[in-house]
This record gives sequence, structure tokens and C-alpha cells, in this order.
Amino acid sequence: MRARAQTALEGGPSTGPYHDAVTDPSRIRNFCIVAHIDHGKSTLADRLLELTHAVADRDMREQYLDKMDLERERGITIKAQAVRLTYVSGGTEHQLNLIDTPGHVDFTYEVSRSLAACEGAVLLVDAAQGIEAQTLANFHLARDAGLTIVPAINKIDLPNADVEETRRELAALVGCAPEDVLAVSGKTGEGVTELLERVIALVHPPSGERNAPLRALIFDSSFDAYRGVIAYVRVFDGVLPSSAKVRYMATGQESEAEEAGVFAPEATPVPKLEAGEVGYLVTGLKDVHQVTVGDTITHAGKDQAVEPLPGYREPLPMVWSGLYPAEGGDYSELREALDRLKLNDAALAFEPETSLALGFGFRCGFLGLLHMDIVKERLEREFGLELIATAPNVEFHVIRGDEAIVVHNPSEMPQPGTYDRVEEPMVLSTVITPSEYLGPIFELCQSRRGELIDMSYLSPERAEVHYKLPLAEIIFDFFDQLKSKTRGYASLDYEPLGYEPSDLVRVDVLLHGEQVDAFSSVVHRAKAPVYGRQMVERLKELIPRQMFDVAIQASIGSRIVARETVKAKRKDVLAKCYGGDITRKRKLLEEQKKGKARLRRVGRVDVPQEAFIAALRVDNSSKAGTRP
Amino acid sequence: MTAGVYVHVPFCLTRCGYCDFNAYAGLDHLASRYVAALLREAELAAPGWAEEEVVSVFLGGGTPTTLEVADLKALLARMRDGFSMDAGAEVTIEANPDTVDRAKLTGLLEAGYTRLSMGAQSFDRAVLASLERLHDPESVRRAMRDARAAGYANVNLDLIYGANGEELESWDGTLRETIDLGPEHVSAYALTIEPSTPLGRKVQHGAVPPPDPDLQADMFELACSLLGDAGYHHYEVSNWAKPGFACVHNLGYWERRPYLGLGAGAHSYRDERRWWNVRPPEEYLTLVESGRLPVGGEEHLEPSDAYLEEVFLRLRILEGVPSSWVEPEKAAPFLESGLLREDDGALVPTERGMLLLNELVLALAG
Repeated sequence: MRARAQTALEGGPSTGPYHDAVTDPSRIRNFCIVAHIDHGKSTLADRLLELTHAVADRDMREQYLDKMDLERERGITIKAQAVRLTYVSGGTEHQLNLIDTPGHVDFTYEVSRSLAACEGAVLLVDAAQGIEAQTLANFHLARDAGLTIVPAINKIDLPNADVEETRRELAALVGCAPEDVLAVSGKTGEGVTELLERVIALVHPPSGERNAPLRALIFDSSFDAYRGVIAYVRVFDGVLPSSAKVRYMATGQESEAEEAGVFAPEATPVPKLEAGEVGYLVTGLKDVHQVTVGDTITHAGKDQAVEPLPGYREPLPMVWSGLYPAEGGDYSELREALDRLKLNDAALAFEPETSLALGFGFRCGFLGLLHMDIVKERLEREFGLELIATAPNVEFHVIRGDEAIVVHNPSEMPQPGTYDRVEEPMVLSTVITPSEYLGPIFELCQSRRGELIDMSYLSPERAEVHYKLPLAEIIFDFFDQLKSKTRGYASLDYEPLGYEPSDLVRVDVLLHGEQVDAFSSVVHRAKAPVYGRQMVERLKELIPRQMFDVAIQASIGSRIVARETVKAKRKDVLAKCYGGDITRKRKLLEEQKKGKARLRRVGRVDVPQEAFIAALRVDNSSKAGTRP
Repeated sequence: MTAGVYVHVPFCLTRCGYCDFNAYAGLDHLASRYVAALLREAELAAPGWAEEEVVSVFLGGGTPTTLEVADLKALLARMRDGFSMDAGAEVTIEANPDTVDRAKLTGLLEAGYTRLSMGAQSFDRAVLASLERLHDPESVRRAMRDARAAGYANVNLDLIYGANGEELESWDGTLRETIDLGPEHVSAYALTIEPSTPLGRKVQHGAVPPPDPDLQADMFELACSLLGDAGYHHYEVSNWAKPGFACVHNLGYWERRPYLGLGAGAHSYRDERRWWNVRPPEEYLTLVESGRLPVGGEEHLEPSDAYLEEVFLRLRILEGVPSSWVEPEKAAPFLESGLLREDDGALVPTERGMLLLNELVLALAG
């Protein structure tokens, strides 16, 4: 964002062929490309930029729109973007607004808001992979949003492309004739012109009333250090002038907007954005939480809209984890870093917490595991922090009479017998897999307390399975297991199904009789002993021998379900100490003393930090929904 | 004040895989120059040590017995000339069993080397092989007979336990053979893996397993028991002596009395200053031959350094730390768990406490 906003600030030349004249709505098309991860969306977007001369050849680089380093390395797009393309079709100049959408299950809500800004969606499928779980998820989202679907097969240049089979699958999914499915190559550019023509022909121009009170949907926002909060907007009704006092209908916040503009693809100021158009607004605000995705912008004072645009909701963290500085002294740095990240990430939640074992830290809420990994990585990379993260957990609801207690930290789960029941979040998961792996997938889902909802065949070789699963099971190495059982061929997507009662218990780990809060976990009663045994065995390897026998126990309430002992160490002495050794031995002792200072104390037991990190490491992959 | 003089002889027939001392094989051609340099260094250093009364001399290595008896005799004569040396001073020379016979031992005793310290290491052939020692158990028995025949009445045997492949039974055998031979003094060291040695690298690469600390603890306890029963007094973590035969020279280190080190890499200590000679023999020779003291480095001990040394050395020699030095709550858990005992106003490690000495030091001095 910074680069683009600065361009605008400095009034630099626009690299794109944007014209300042108001475009007739009939010549505007707002569309997006939706695809499973790695099906070539960003490369296709590059070709569209080239074809419409939005970027000069010398400035072109791969995956142009994925600007953040992190996004590029992970090959995913976190922040939706909107780029304005100018394209002449049949002698008429059209304004095409390409709205990029995030491709990950963590960001479903953001996807849905981006879709709400469009009238059409190109549904893109890799010719070598066929339909995958997020193809389905994105298709259903786009169809439910009332978008015109333009089905297209990508990567037809690949040697293992199966264009005909993919065409059949895609036509069956969308409900069109196979010949209506376009075949393109984002790499070679083949079929891309046809695709643009198809978008113009099929996607409806935006409707909307230019004379009505202003209503603009915020479908994304970001924070720029110089300009403050930038809102990405789609104007539905009225006119959004370049500077005006505006009101955010959900939050009630008002601000003096400083600049309206479009991405062409660099940020380019415009005098106004009219109904049907897509662009950005420099809001004049400094806190991204005042500008929430899904909110509606209208005028402050007179000409206020009465009804906001539909679909707004607060971002809802699904996965929680405790983040602690590895060096206790970095607590205030961590707080500052989280504050900074939150400026740019409305979905990140955090509250201070104290762990007996790990000291001062934060319980953080994330949209999902990928979101968690991204935040952790940014904290470490951008802020130079070394972190210890507890195993991720979901949010539990503990019901006691009429009261529901929300638990974000397993160690805060009340003891059994003090409540009526516990509820946990469930999800409906969709797995697409070659049918030969159905057996292992059923086994995996059954072992994760799954309930088969239905299954169907996309083709004789490929099946679509729906399972109802506890989210807690999915965030515990489910995706890695799925990938390893299907040699990487299965894809996964899931959507929330709300909370259900479940027979969950808290398993605690005790070191020498002392509970280690960071190791507490809430698991299903039937699995608790196995979980307890695993933790105890793992810790036995990690806890160094002490001056006394250390019992490592797992307990449910007062019942011990697993136990191991780390035998007391017997020998820690330097064998020789003569004239030439004394200096060296003294230094060794000093080193040993420093090492001791770095240990964390749990009751009487000294535990090295590495042991905490290793014990908390779940062999987990955050890449649910991504390809291996 | 009483002081000790240490003389380092860096020559060996071969290097053993576990050894990280300043010792070299194949440098024998430097021997005569080296002896001359030692004489010269003693001459250079002596004026500075005029105030000290030398009560012990210790020739260590390396293998000092690789030098000629005549040279060794000249060396000791120079000490007696240059330093104020007690007539009854303890004079020790280290020897490998294979480098001494009866004639040489007779010569050494006549030259004034009245205490003999022999590297026996083990009486188990397999353990000697594992340690890359060239001698066999029979050499030790023979060298011991020769020493007695030559007239030696103060002999130490060095032992090492916990080598790869050594079991408790083998160690039991070594201890019993040692006791049968009846030396006045026994040093028994747990094998320590030094990363910079060939053995250290093998352990790092996983070619050789590291010593099992629990087995070494069992071995230590066995040594305490068998040597104790045989009338040896356990007076330092790794040292046992018949009454009256504790090593005066080594006690000097542990009691923090001054010592002067001569030879390549030797350390000296006096008045909370410790300094050391350059390690490479050639560099040592060059410096001394040009008339300079071959000092390679030094440190001044801060009071906190000195205190830490005082505490760990006192604990090592079972003299213990005066109870008044330590806050009672620091000592209490160790007294309770039997790692320390209180003896005449001092906190003294027990047998188990000796095995966990580092923990005791850090807890009491930390």
C-alpha cells in the first residue's frame, strides 16, 4: 500500500492509461477471479495487466498484484486488491475492475465481501488438477452472491493438462454446456483475449443510482504509515467525492476523507468515484478498526443513506494461541508489535495473559491456522521477536445454568462437575480426493470424531466428501494427515456450523506435582488418555535430569492418566582440576550458571526454554486449503 | 610463603585420542633445546620467586620420562640452585609404564625424583585399546615391581574409568589389581570427552557413544568403596592416598597457594594473578632463547572469581566451605538430601555430593 499511496501523494505519473472522464455504467464490468490456491490466478492477472497495457512492459514483474513479500513467498494473496483496466471491445472502451480475492479458507469472510463488490466471477480451474475443495467453496460463495459465473480452465499449456475432463467437471458444476467453458493459459496468454470478451459479454454492468444517497461497500482496508487507513470501496449508489465528510454506518465513525482514487494499477487520485465504480479512499483515520470490512460508507450530515448495504459482520477469531516472548523482557515489544499489526489486520484479537510457566504474554485470536502462522512470522520477521507459541485451540463455551462462559485458554477450563456441559465449534468440511483414497480419508475423519454427511462423485475417479468435524480436530495436524494419506492429492475446505455439546475434558500436565498451564489441553474424553500419554512421553525426552526424580504426569481432574519419571541426575562434576585447568573450569562453571539463569522454573523443576518450544510444537500445518 | 613449581614436558610417543593436554608426538628432536630452554626459563623466573619457599616440584606432560635422566637431573639441580627449595620437598615425575625400566627408575630416584606417578589407566586390555594406550596391563605390573626394586616408596597410579565398552566388572577388576599392587596414591578420573580431541569428534559424529553418566557414577562409588576399604583416604574428588601420602604439589593448587609453571603452555599463579606460557613448543623455544619470559596471556581474578574458585576448590578437597560463608537456606536442601554434611563448622560434600559438585558449587557460591 505504501508504494501506491506515495505515488498518489507525490502526484507521480500514472503508468496506466486511465482516463478521467466518467464512464457510462453500461461500459463498466466489476469482476473477480476465484480459484483454488495455485490454480494460476495471479499469473492470469499478470496477462490481463499486459493485455490492457495497465503496466508498461519494463515495469512488469511476476505476480504483480501480490505486492507484500510475505504474500509472494507463500504464493497466496492475503489482501484483496482492485485494479482498473481499460479495454476496447467492439470499438467501445470499457472500464474493467478486477477485484482480487484471498484464496484461503481462513479468509472466507473477506472473500465474500470482495465478491459482493462484483457482478461476475471467473471460476478458474487448473487443467492438470481439476476441481478442488476451494473451487467448490468459491463457486458456491460466488453463486450465492448472485454473480455471473464465467468458467475457465487454466494451464492448458501443461503437458499433463486434461482439458476435456476438466471441461466436463466444470460444466457439470456450473450447469453450462462444456463448450461454454473457456480454455486459457495464464502462462502463454492463449485464450486470454477471449476471456475478456466473455466477461464483457456475460457479466452484467453495475446497476445503482447515481442520484441516490451515497452507499459504498468497504471490501478491504489497509494501513499506510503515511496516509493512515485506506479503504477499498465499491460504490453502489451516489457519488463519493475526493474529499468529503463521510460516515461509516456500522461503527458510527465519521471522518474527513482526504483522497479518492483508483489502482491503475498504481494508486491514482480521481475527483470522484461514482455508482458502479471501484477504487480506494484515504479515510483520514489512523485506526483500521474504525474502518471494518463489510461496512457501508455514506455521507455524514445531510444526504445520509438510511439502509446500509447487507452482509456486515464483525471478524470472528476461530483459533487461539498464547504467544509469549522467549525473552521475558520483550513483553512490551511484543505488545507494541501486536498493536502495530492490528492496525493492518482487523481480524487479529489479543488479550494479555499470564502463564506460570511462560511468564507474561498474550492470548491471541486468529481466523485460522494460516492467519496464525502469518502473524507469528510477521512478529518474528518484521519485529525481530523470538516467540513461544502454545498449541492452538478453539474457543469453548462452558454452559452453567443460563450462563455461557467463553474459554480461550484450555488452562482456564473449569474443573469437571462445576458446569452443565461444554460446547465446541463444529465445521462442515469438504474434501475432494481421487476415489482411491476414500478409505484412508474415512478412517482419518472417523478417528477425528467426524460424521459423514454425504459423498458424491465428480467423475469415476474423483469424489467429493462432506464430513461434519469438530474444528478442534482440524486444527490438530488434520491437514498434514490428509495430505500424507492421499499423497497430497486431496484438498480441504470447511465452513463453520456453530457450536454443539461435546464430551470434552481438560487434560493437565504436572511436573513434580505442579501443573504446567502452558501444556493444558481440552480434548475429547475418549482421547484424553492417549493425549496425556503422548505429552508425558514427549516431555520425558525434553526435561533435563534434575537433582531429584521428577514425576511427569497427565491428569484429568484429580485422576492421573499417564506417568513417567525423569530419574535424578547423579553425576555433574569435573574430573580433573589442576594448575592449568582452574581458569577453564571456573569459566565452565560460570557458563553453567548462565545456562541455569535461562531456565524457567516450574515449582522446583528447571525447564529449558527449548523444551517448552519442542513440547508445544504440534506437527501441524497451517496450509489447510493450500497445496503441498 | 610456600609454593610449587610445575615443569611441563610436551613430548609423547603417541597422542591418545581422549587427551587434550599440550602434548605432541614426533617432536623428540626438540628435546635437548627444550631442556636448555627450561633451564633458561627457570633462571629468568627465579629472581621473582626469591621470597617463596618451594615445597614441591612436579614434572608433568606429556611424558617427562621421554627425557634423558642426565637432563632431568640437571633440571632439578637448577631448581635447587635458583629457588629456595626445601630439602624435603616433594618431587614428582610422571611416567608411562613403557618409558621406564629399573635402570631409569634408579637413575630418577638418585637424581632426586622421589615420587613417581604412573599412567596405568586400566588393567583391562580392551579398555586400554579403547583409550588408544599402547602399553598392556603387564607393563604396569612390571614397572611397579621395578619402581619398588629401585627404591620408590611413594608411587601414584592414574586410572581412567568409563571408556567406551568398559563395564562395572572391568572397573572392579582394575581397582582390585591396583589395590593388590599397593601404590601409596591412586588418582581415578571419569573419562571426560573434550570436543577438540579425536575422541571428541568421534562422539560428536556418533561413531562412539558418550560415556554413560550413571555408569560412571556407579564406578565412582565402587572406587570410593574399594579404595576406602583398602585403607586409602579419599581427599579430593579424584584422588585417594594412604595416610601421609596426599600429593603436596596438587594440594597447593587446591589450597590456592602460589605456583610457578615452566615450559610450553604452563600456568602460574600468585596474588590473584594467573598467567600462562605460549602453548606451541617452537614458539616457547623462540621466546626463551631470545631471553624473554614466554608469557602468552594472563588474568587478574576479581574477588568474585577468586571466591568462586575458593568455593569449588575447597569443596573438591573435602575441606569444605565454612558454614558461615553460606546462607543457611541455601545449604539446607543439600544437607537434607544428603549431598552435604556439616563437619566442624564446615559444609563438606558427601560421596554423592562429590558426584554433583557443580550443582553444589553453583548453589552455594551463586
